[in-house]
Amino acid sequence: MALLFRTHLRLAKTSIKENRTRSFLTCLGIAIGIASIILILSLTGSISRLISEEISDVGADLIVVRPSTNKDTVTNLVEELTSSSDYSKSNLDVADIASIAKIEDVDAVAPVAISSNTVTDDDNTVASATILGTTTDFISINPLTLRYGAFITDKNKENSIVVGHLLSLLLFNTSNPVGRTLTFHGQRFIVVGVLEEVEDTINFNNVDFNNALIIDIDVLSTLMSSIQIQQINVKVSATSALETVSNSIREVLTTNHSGDTNFSVAYGEAITHPAGSLLSIISGMLSVVAGVSLVVGGIGVMNIMLVSVAERTHEIGIRKAVGASSQNILMQFMLESLILSILGGLLGIVLGYIMAFLVSIITPFTPYISLEIIAITLSTSIAVGILFGTYPAIKAATKNPIDSLKHYR
Amino acid sequence: MNDTIIELKGLTKRYGYGDTESFALKDFDLTIKRGEFIMIMGPSGCGKTTLLNIIGLLDRATSGEYTLNGKNVASISSARQARLRAKKIGFIFQNFNLIEDLSILENVALPLVYVNRPRTVRLKNASQALERFHLQEREYYLPGQLSGGQQQRVAIARAIVSDPEIILADEPTGNLDSHASNIVMEELKAIHEEGNTIIMVTHNPALTVYATRVINMLDGHIDTDVKTVADQNLPQPIDVKIKKRSKRTKSSKTNKSNKRRKH
Repeated sequence: MALLFRTHLRLAKTSIKENRTRSFLTCLGIAIGIASIILILSLTGSISRLISEEISDVGADLIVVRPSTNKDTVTNLVEELTSSSDYSKSNLDVADIASIAKIEDVDAVAPVAISSNTVTDDDNTVASATILGTTTDFISINPLTLRYGAFITDKNKENSIVVGHLLSLLLFNTSNPVGRTLTFHGQRFIVVGVLEEVEDTINFNNVDFNNALIIDIDVLSTLMSSIQIQQINVKVSATSALETVSNSIREVLTTNHSGDTNFSVAYGEAITHPAGSLLSIISGMLSVVAGVSLVVGGIGVMNIMLVSVAERTHEIGIRKAVGASSQNILMQFMLESLILSILGGLLGIVLGYIMAFLVSIITPFTPYISLEIIAITLSTSIAVGILFGTYPAIKAATKNPIDSLKHYR
Repeated sequence: MNDTIIELKGLTKRYGYGDTESFALKDFDLTIKRGEFIMIMGPSGCGKTTLLNIIGLLDRATSGEYTLNGKNVASISSARQARLRAKKIGFIFQNFNLIEDLSILENVALPLVYVNRPRTVRLKNASQALERFHLQEREYYLPGQLSGGQQQRVAIARAIVSDPEIILADEPTGNLDSHASNIVMEELKAIHEEGNTIIMVTHNPALTVYATRVINMLDGHIDTDVKTVADQNLPQPIDVKIKKRSKRTKSSKTNKSNKRRKH
């Protein structure tokens, strides 16, 4: 059996080599499908890896509360996609923060409320800068470091502000504007601190800290008519308390919201998932496209194998006459389509990573290479080979030897 | 040497149904003994090739019994039949039927692929078979680069490479000129003298001198069945008989394989 397998492997190699262009084009069909799957998996993988790395930096003692209308329903996702506002409407309010802070074992609570407004200093104006409203606990939960100055404290939170690195350059033309003032919404603030430049702009807060201002949430809520709390980060005293605290949060918020469970409470790995609800829609859609192109590639394999079987009818007749059984012929053609699809798969993996690296040049993603992804895509291409190689192989195997012998090219 | 190798009883092969019904073989009985060289003659469409295909396990009779080496063929699975084709039966065709993409050597080695011989053994045996037909210098040629006579000798080498018991030849000289025909027939004669059973279909009455038995077919049944002078069991001119006998003893079936290796 093993000997026959080797013989068939060599036969398939010869046949693929002889029809080099044809085989290459067939492989390319598979490769494009596999490459798009690789691209999607490596990019989404890189995002969730970034976020989970950050969470491990933050510590395992983090709970994130996020608003959600109706978790994971299609209409919700579509709404989110089609809504014109930059930030989705939140069901969380300032009262919730206070409620959560009262729960036992909760060390720190930091909301993330996002707004945007025009910011001016004496010389420069930045239109629509991101303004992050939070509490003084924020710095103890998030792994942010300050380049200059200090974070907002309870004493100075009325008129203090922390500036992101790039925004500081834009507004003040210096990286150290501590002590200078800026104005937005008619109120003057003193810069008390500047954030260290953040390299990865993707994080579980969904905030680009390089271009953000950080002020106290109470100040923000007095300035703006309504604020949207995008999420509430909760730090617990011990990881063992994660489950009980998150249950308590659920209870408290359900009472606050008069029975509605229009929020989600997550800790550990689960934090990364909602971060990309939009991302997951996009990657889902891309996966469908990739799947379709893979099916097209598979049909290409089937097509070429059918041509190959027709071309080699005479050969099949000869092989049967000298002693090949139907199973032998089946195996020969099956192996050939398998090799085509595996070659396509390998080519696709290489192509996919080249594409991922190209994308990483213009975006903050770093391509995520894992054996898991390679295993998934390779087994997908093997499955395609088997799926689309079976029919031509059966067709070859069931050919009548006498008729086949009469058949000429 | 007198045991029966092939026994056909009431063999019928029907094509089509109703008004288009026709019989390639009709109630066909034939017993073939080991070591016979049978020539089957007859007009086109009398069922010669069908008979050969059925004997060669490429085709199945509509009804009737075919016993090969004492075993009823109907009871053998198709996979085992394929194995039998590879081991016990060698085919030679009018149009050679070599695979154009494979070298001469690989073509000859083809039957050994399906009896699971390692590649080195296959190529060695094939090379020895080719040497016997003086084609060893053309081992790496493609079939298209050889003359018809050479191609047919390659096909004969392929037919004998796995030491089969039965050689089936369907008009092996049909596409060849008389010179090439003679060479091919001499090779077949030599193979027969090593103890092989040969069943050959031909249109050429001149070739019957090589046969031990000539069967004339007509409309799917045997018209005449005569043993020729080449058959040693018939009374024949003394000198011929002695000549044949001496040759036979030299190359009996027992040292057949040794002889082939030596070549």
